[in-house]
Amino acid sequence: MKIPKVTLFLFLLPSLALIFIFGLYPVVYNVFLSLKDVNLITYIRGTSKDVGSLNYRAILGDSLFWRALYNTIVFTLLSIVLQMVVGFLLALLFYYEFPLKGFLQALVMVPWVMPIMVSGSFFRWFLNDNGFLNNLLATFGWITEPVRWITLERVVIYSLTAVNVWLGIPFNFILLYTGMQQIPEELYESADIDGAAGWQKVLYIALPMLKPVLVATFVLGCILTFKVFDLVWIVTRGGPGGASHLLSTLSYSLAFDRFQFGKSAAVLVLMQIIVILFVGFSTRIRLEER
Amino acid sequence: MRRTFAVGLLVAVLLLVVGVGAFAEVTLTFQSYSNPNEQVAQFIQNVLIPELKKAHPEVDVKYVYIPFAEYMSTILQQAVSNTLPDLVYLDNPWVPQLIEAGVFQKITDNVMRDLGKDFWMDFFPGHRLLTSKDEEIYALQVHTNNLAIFYREGFLKQAGIGEPPKTWDEFQDAAKKIKESLGIYGLMFYAGADEAGTWQFEPFLWSNGGSLLELDQPEAIEALEFVTGLVKNGYAPRDVVGLKDQGDVTIWFMNGQAAMMINGNWEFGWHLLPDVLQKLGDVKVAPFPVPEAGMRSAVLPFGGECVGVTTSDSEKAKYAWELIRIWFAERLDEYYEKWTGHIPTLASYAAKIAEKRPEFEIFIKQAAYTLPRPPMGGMDKYPDVSNELALALQKALTEAQTPEAAFKEAASNIRNLFTPEAYEENKATARKILEEVLARTKAQ
Repeated sequence: MKIPKVTLFLFLLPSLALIFIFGLYPVVYNVFLSLKDVNLITYIRGTSKDVGSLNYRAILGDSLFWRALYNTIVFTLLSIVLQMVVGFLLALLFYYEFPLKGFLQALVMVPWVMPIMVSGSFFRWFLNDNGFLNNLLATFGWITEPVRWITLERVVIYSLTAVNVWLGIPFNFILLYTGMQQIPEELYESADIDGAAGWQKVLYIALPMLKPVLVATFVLGCILTFKVFDLVWIVTRGGPGGASHLLSTLSYSLAFDRFQFGKSAAVLVLMQIIVILFVGFSTRIRLEER
Repeated sequence: MRRTFAVGLLVAVLLLVVGVGAFAEVTLTFQSYSNPNEQVAQFIQNVLIPELKKAHPEVDVKYVYIPFAEYMSTILQQAVSNTLPDLVYLDNPWVPQLIEAGVFQKITDNVMRDLGKDFWMDFFPGHRLLTSKDEEIYALQVHTNNLAIFYREGFLKQAGIGEPPKTWDEFQDAAKKIKESLGIYGLMFYAGADEAGTWQFEPFLWSNGGSLLELDQPEAIEALEFVTGLVKNGYAPRDVVGLKDQGDVTIWFMNGQAAMMINGNWEFGWHLLPDVLQKLGDVKVAPFPVPEAGMRSAVLPFGGECVGVTTSDSEKAKYAWELIRIWFAERLDEYYEKWTGHIPTLASYAAKIAEKRPEFEIFIKQAAYTLPRPPMGGMDKYPDVSNELALALQKALTEAQTPEAAFKEAASNIRNLFTPEAYEENKATARKILEEVLARTKAQ
């Protein structure tokens, strides 16, 4: 039976409507906002004027933006690489049977279960100059002066990245662990017969077989990490002195600390462009592989 | 049987709906960020609303709580989607922008008719300046607050400090002695990258003759150098830049990690409740230190909340105003005496309350030397200006920049927020307000 095209379209209509209303409309509206002089007063009054590329020029001329862009790239890439490495090692560990496996596996999932508000507040206290970590290091006599984990401009983003790695391990672990379960046991068995060492099995069987999962984890991880906001906002609020702003926190601060909605929208548009380029690039790589 | 029961139930439900409707013809929404368990919210819910309902049984008032962090974004959404509540309670620095945006209804006639001109003129000038525009009144400030030094007398004595510090030099000296002899921090304050960070620095800036719109001038840089020095020398922890809010400052203070703290009178209604004060046993308050001996008071920003009518429905606006009228005309004594950790915004009440609540005496005295924040920082540009200052403060405190470099950069960023004419005009306004109050602090 051949279904008429109109009927097919009708079936598609609800999801198309949702995509337009909740997906496309906000994005397009945001682009319009970024081209206007929108602040609290003009937004409520509806009197904002078109200013062309002024918001973009202002943002691109602001050192805070470049700092936030650099931070976002460092934060995203470092987080993903480290999360994947640790997640993979854990998946490898849990592939084998050992006592207390179930309990330890549950423990690995803890960061995922904890609300970010709780873990964020905890890390703010954990990492400050007089915080738990420095006190611990001092007790062991390893430091005499507090290490400035989150109060030193050039260090803060790496401390936040470390926290984010901890938070992201469960996600990576679950995906990679499930992927490893899918690898046929026979491959390892035949490798055993050939006398392959453990590391050879990892390098020549597990990793190549996991490649599709690894790529998917990487792409998903990049997108999820690129838009991290809450962690940084709770631990440092983008400080000290704007040194740990990500593009997301900078955009939020512009909108709700300063009511500069036009500039905030411009940052978001630039973020969207980066995401689109990235997704396009990664899809192309995956297509080429196929 | 079952059918009769169903019909009976339906009738009962209908009667209930109609009945409730008959008792409350008008439902007002009172929006606030005061948590329903806090004193102010309790007062609104348990005193004001029942009082209004007693006189007007046809009215019901719903108290809606929105957390502080989401408050402005919520009002913004409500304003653009025409879903504003009928009354709002909000932080004073936001008021000028919201008046400008047309969120508040004019209440000039109501104030003049029901409270009178003398009552309006009894508000301290700063509160009038902030809640009115072009001779029209848009909101009323219900209470205010400011900053002072809270100290633990026992720690000061142990460090050999007889009197709490009065000047900046004594302040630094006291903090130093505490750090050196007791091993705890002399001082704790808040320097987060937000409005509260700016607010805690403004007393240093303004008392020294510095202006938010002239941060590259020596008076401003000197103030920043002083505050930076406290942290650089270890008298205050560098963690001041990473606290959650000013409540965190009190946590350090209560834990005995710091002997003095900069904080506001609201703490008496928040963390420093009577049982806590009794347990600590030696918490005292001293006026905010001044740059040089002989000044009567530091020049401080004032805080506190305002209330205004936001509904454009004239029927609802009538009742909304009635609620405000009851607050100001009938229940103000009770409010200040019992229900708030804040101090009066009206001169005649200030004198009365200072006697009844001795813990507020210093704050009430300082209130005469407090300034509204927005007019000091370019009015509707104030949030921008404040944010630039908070960022610069953090850069200096963490030694990412020298105080001079940090403030020079901030000053240039701030200047770029305005057109040259607007900048000069706003700078002159701020300077004029500041000079007037500075002259009073130095008058004999």
